[in-house]
Amino acid sequence: MRNQSLWSAVWLLGILGLISVGLISGYSAASAGKPIPQPPDLSGIWQGKAIQSLSPSDPSAHKPGAEGDIPYTPWALARMKAEVPATGPKANFETTTDPAIRFADPDGYPRASIHPMRFKIVQTPDTIYQLWEYNKSWRQIALNRPHSKDPDITWFGESVGKWEGDTLVVDSVGFNGSTWLDPIGHPHTEDLHMIERIRRVDPETLVFNFTFEDPKAYTKPWDAQLTFKLVTDGIMTETIYTISDELSFRERFLNEKPPIPIRPSN
Amino acid sequence: MKGKLLVLVVLLTAIPLFAHHGGTSLYDISKQITLDATVTEFVWTNPHVEIGLDAKDDKGKVQHWILEASSPPVMVSRGWNRKSLQPGDVIKVTFNPATRGANVGRLIKLIKADGEELGRALAQ
Repeated sequence: MRNQSLWSAVWLLGILGLISVGLISGYSAASAGKPIPQPPDLSGIWQGKAIQSLSPSDPSAHKPGAEGDIPYTPWALARMKAEVPATGPKANFETTTDPAIRFADPDGYPRASIHPMRFKIVQTPDTIYQLWEYNKSWRQIALNRPHSKDPDITWFGESVGKWEGDTLVVDSVGFNGSTWLDPIGHPHTEDLHMIERIRRVDPETLVFNFTFEDPKAYTKPWDAQLTFKLVTDGIMTETIYTISDELSFRERFLNEKPPIPIRPSN
Repeated sequence: MKGKLLVLVVLLTAIPLFAHHGGTSLYDISKQITLDATVTEFVWTNPHVEIGLDAKDDKGKVQHWILEASSPPVMVSRGWNRKSLQPGDVIKVTFNPATRGANVGRLIKLIKADGEELGRALAQ
């Protein structure tokens, strides 16, 4: 028994010694070469405030089309004035032209982040994913690569990104032009070019600074900002908005008869 | 008082709320109605939870109402779950009525017969 204990102690010391040598070697190798920069960690569940408009001066959308900080082209201004939002001070739910309400169209981006709901960032070395609980939608940001030669036109666009110090700079193109940038109806075209600078300004706060370039809709680039707070309970729920939900609501609350029966009765 | 229509009309400052579904345009947020009522249905659905209820009007006639609450995730965050209400539950409920006069509204608060007050769940 005594010999067995002695051999166990020798084995343990040997293993500890090997681990120590390995660690020392590793530190030596790291300190001998250039330090490998680690990108900031953006991962986590994030939630923003409810706003109506990306206009920095008018987030509650009291003067859509006349904010003073959004350089509309005549086309975009006319379109903005023609839209009927479903939310905000000038909302009319019954006559809204909001495609995300009227037709349950995807929000697209950046509108997907403007709900007072959560999204999760999953960060890998080559791709960053945003997963929104609203409508269970998602977006990917491919890192350190150029745009496709001829990007498909999609609801969420094509996004590529790279780290500049502690800031993730994301360049997006290829939006389909059918979505609103925000709930109040700021329009864009397929020529939208969006640049984001994303930074975790403190452990609990993530800031997205946007620049929108779209010569058909805006006479010059304009900026907006969204801020999100870290949520630590780990919960991501499901809220999916469908056209059947919309028709059901209109039937029950507005007495509007749906074009076909919405759901078979149980 | 129980089972009798109780209407409180309160003039409030109009507060713009983020209302994704029915929205503030459907409801007169300058008015609140409080009713003693019986739950007829509790629909835990997307995008917003719906509550059906019966309540007597001032002539003793039963009126049916449908109220819009918030989204399930918001309701959960305020203490609700899909079994918070059952048909037959007796409640006192306060809501914003519809602007067009139909018997629909937007839930503000709800107290159950045992005195439990479920968290405010404005449509959002």
